Amino acid sequence: MFSTELVIQTAISGVMIGVLYALMALGITFIYSIMRMINWAMGEFYMIGSYLQYVLVAFLLGPDLWWLAIIVSTAGVFVFGLVVQWGLLKPIFKKPPEARDDYATVVTLALLLLLRSLATGLAGPNQFTPGSTLPIVMVGPLPVAGARLAAFVFALVALGLFWALLRYTWYGLALRATSQSRVGVQTAGIDVLAVDRIAFGIGVGLAGLAGALLAPVFLVFPTNGLITTVKGFEIVVIGGLGSIPGALIAGVLLGVVESFGAAFIDSAYQNIYGFVFVLLILVFRPHGLFGERGREA
Amino acid sequence: MAAALETVGLRKRFGGLLATNDVSLQVEKGEMRGLIGPNGAGKTTLVNLVTGVYAPDAGEVKLSGTSLTGRSMHEIARLGLVRSFQVTRLFGSMTVRENLITAYLARESHVHGAGATARADRMIDLTKLGHLSETQAKKLSGGQRALLQMACGFMVPGSCYVLDEPFAGINPVIKDTIIDMIVQVNREHGATFLVVSHEMSIIRRLCPKVTVMMEGKVAAHGTLDEVARLPEVIAGYLGKALE
Repeated sequence: MFSTELVIQTAISGVMIGVLYALMALGITFIYSIMRMINWAMGEFYMIGSYLQYVLVAFLLGPDLWWLAIIVSTAGVFVFGLVVQWGLLKPIFKKPPEARDDYATVVTLALLLLLRSLATGLAGPNQFTPGSTLPIVMVGPLPVAGARLAAFVFALVALGLFWALLRYTWYGLALRATSQSRVGVQTAGIDVLAVDRIAFGIGVGLAGLAGALLAPVFLVFPTNGLITTVKGFEIVVIGGLGSIPGALIAGVLLGVVESFGAAFIDSAYQNIYGFVFVLLILVFRPHGLFGERGREA
Repeated sequence: MAAALETVGLRKRFGGLLATNDVSLQVEKGEMRGLIGPNGAGKTTLVNLVTGVYAPDAGEVKLSGTSLTGRSMHEIARLGLVRSFQVTRLFGSMTVRENLITAYLARESHVHGAGATARADRMIDLTKLGHLSETQAKKLSGGQRALLQMACGFMVPGSCYVLDEPFAGINPVIKDTIIDMIVQVNREHGATFLVVSHEMSIIRRLCPKVTVMMEGKVAAHGTLDEVARLPEVIAGYLGKALE
C-alpha cells in the first residue's frame, strides 16, 4: 500500500513546505543569536507581509506582478522592523543588560497584541486571498500548485542571499562576530545597536517574506501568523536555539515529518506530528540537533 | 599638552562596595605605565570605567584631552583607545584570520577588503600563528588566544592601550612575543600603554613608572622599586614585599 510514488510525492511536498517553515525559524533564531532575545511578535510580521502581498496583488500591481509584490512586501516588513528596533528595542538595549530579555519579551508581546488588533480593526476578521494565476506544475510525479512552487523557489533564493550576506560581506562578518560576543564587537569598535537594527530588520523580513509567499496558500487574516510561528518555534527547538544550519535542516525535517504523518497516519492531526517530533528531540537531545549547551554572554 | 589618558576623581559603587574611590591618574603620551595592586583593589573596575563598559558614578575620563563621558564602548574604541580582557573576548566560531579582519574592519569600515587582508597576513606572521590561520578561535590554547586578542588590538594601531592582565597564565615564549609586539607599537606609533599585571618582572621590564591601587584608591606612584619599599604597599600585599 505504500507505493514508491506516494513516498516520493510526500517527501517532495514535505521538503517544499519545510523550507518555508525554515524561513520563519531562521528569523527567530537569527534575531536571538544577535540580540539574545526572542521576538514573540514574529507571527505578526508574517501577517503584515501577507497583508502587504494581498493589497499589492489585489489593488496595486495585479496578479502578474506577484513576484514584484513579494519583493516590495518583504522590503516593507524589513523597513518596519528597522523602525521597531529603533523606536521600541534600542532604548532597552542602550541600558545595562540586566533583565533586558524580560523587557524585550514584554515589548514584543505588546506589539503582538497591538498589531493583531490593528489588523482586525483595519481589515476586519475576514479572510482574503491574493489569488494566483500561476498554473499547476509537475514536480517529478507530484502536481504542485504554481504558487507553492513559486514560494519554494523564492524561499531558496532568499536563503541563498542570506547565506551569501553572512559569508561574503563585511556586514556578514560583523553579524557573525556579534553573535559570538557582543562585548567583543563593541570593544573592537562596532556599533552593536546598528548591528541589532540590521539583524532585527532581516529577521522580521524573513517572516514577512514567508507571509507574502504563503498568502495564496494559507490565506490572509489577522491571526494567520500563529500556526507558522508555532512551527517556527518547534523548528528552533529541534534545530537548537541560535543555530542557523539547525533552523534550515530542522525546518525541512519538520515539513517532511508532517507530510508523512498526514499521508500515512491521518491528515487531521497534521499539526500534532511536529509536536511529537519536538518531544522526541527534547528527550534525546535537549539542546536540539545543533544547539550549544551554553554560551558566554 | 594634555595627557594621553587621564582620569579625574573616578568613582564607582557596586551596592555596598566602593570599587574605585576618587581615582585620578595621568598617563603621558608614549608612556608605558604599570597598574598594580592586590586582588580586589579595583584595577579591572578602573579599566572598565576607562573603556566605557561601566559609567562612573562620579568623575571623568579624558583621552588626549577629549572627555569620554557619555560615549559608548564602540565610540571610545574608534577614538583609538583599545583594551584587552583578562578573559579573552574573541569570536569563537570564527577563524583566526576572520577575527583579525573583523578587528580591522570594525575600526576602518570605510576601507573594504585589501588593506585588511594584507594587515592580517602581517599579524599572522608576527604572531607565528600561520599554521592556525584557518582554525576557529575557540580551538586555540589560552596563550594563543591571548596572543590573538593582542594581535586584533594591533590590527589598526591605537593611540592608547589598556591591557588587563595580558600575561596571566601563558607560556614564556608567547609572553615574549606579546612583549615584543607591545614594544614595537609603542616605538613605531608612540602608542601609550596602561598595563595591569601581577607579573612584576615584566612590569619592571616594560614600565618605568607604576601606579599602585589599593582598596579602590591610588595608594602610590613611582618606579617599581620606589613603591615596593613603601610600608603601606607592603601592608596592602599582606605583609609580603614585592619580589
